[in-house]
Amino acid sequence: MRNLFRGELVRITAEEPEARAKAEVFWQMDTEFHRLADSEPAKVKSERKFKKRFEKEAEDGFNSRRYLFAVRTLADDKHIGFFVLIANHVHGEAWVGIGIGEREFWGKGYGTDMMQLCLQYAFTELNMHRVSLGVHDYNPRALRAYEKAGFQMEGYTRMDILREDKRTGGFWMGILRDEWLAIRSGEANE
Amino acid sequence: MNNIYTGGLVRLSAMDAEESSKAFARWDRDSEFRRLLVSGAADLISQKALQKMVEKDLEEQSNKHHSFSVRKLDDDRLLGIVDLFVHNLTGRDAFIGLGIGEREFWGKGYGTDMLGLILQYAFNEINLKRVSLGVFEYNPRAIRTYEKAGFRHEGRERKSLNKEGKRWDMLFMGILREEWMEQNGIGITN
Repeated sequence: MRNLFRGELVRITAEEPEARAKAEVFWQMDTEFHRLADSEPAKVKSERKFKKRFEKEAEDGFNSRRYLFAVRTLADDKHIGFFVLIANHVHGEAWVGIGIGEREFWGKGYGTDMMQLCLQYAFTELNMHRVSLGVHDYNPRALRAYEKAGFQMEGYTRMDILREDKRTGGFWMGILRDEWLAIRSGEANE
Repeated sequence: MNNIYTGGLVRLSAMDAEESSKAFARWDRDSEFRRLLVSGAADLISQKALQKMVEKDLEEQSNKHHSFSVRKLDDDRLLGIVDLFVHNLTGRDAFIGLGIGEREFWGKGYGTDMLGLILQYAFNEINLKRVSLGVFEYNPRAIRTYEKAGFRHEGRERKSLNKEGKRWDMLFMGILREEWMEQNGIGITN
């Protein structure tokens, strides 16, 4: 069996609230990262506030809706990002949030590796039927990575985001269990 | 669409801590009822303590735990409880427990009706793949009801119960989604 927690470039871990707060407080200052990852207005929070939030989340542990992982590089164990799966077990659907806060790791295959681990966890461990995500239309790098992972374009929300006086939209994407299994068995046969 | 809470004789309703605890306190004095419902020693708990337990239970109810008060359709009288606990979220499997506290309604089809409702809820509302239960060898009435509803015998813990100097088996039964769908003439989707 494959190791669920280890990819080619990264591994996924549970992160102590303290370590996560230290990373997030740094990542939040990169407003480009924030705008790619989120549609809420950028906001600056103190390390203490982050820590408190993460401690509270940690108390709930791995609840049955929210599966959150920190991402570390295999090469030097650097904490570079996160992903989270919000699972609906009744319908077998999970939504993904994913981000690389350390920008020197953008565009180098780390996101692809993370998404691979994320889908593997969703389909082989949570037994989801589909995985969904949304992405801003001004984030072509992410869009390409999702397409590469096998996500299909399913919809487009027009002009829902106002950023720097420009109206932008967002794509909805999804991948079904069978599609992912087919891609993976194809890889295994190569 | 049918109302999924309404059967032929009974309906499923929200549990009210005060009402339920009063009923439990009364039903628990019927030691036969208790012995059919729980394997441990019959215990007597005050209504106040029961109410606290139920309140806490209801507060903590998550996407794993669903419990209902069962009421007669004709006069809305409270006659029992049904409980469903999804013990394996990703495998989509739940344990159910049923009890009719008012013994004048034993053996008259009320249990069958309750069971039908909770199975419908399990398979059609929360999309489970199977439903499991445990029943005591000395409860042939319940066993018959479960068999009638389509449950199959899947295992037994030999001589694990000890009541009145006699040892009895604990029986495990289960029904699969596709079995239930077929019985009820509903197309199998997945």
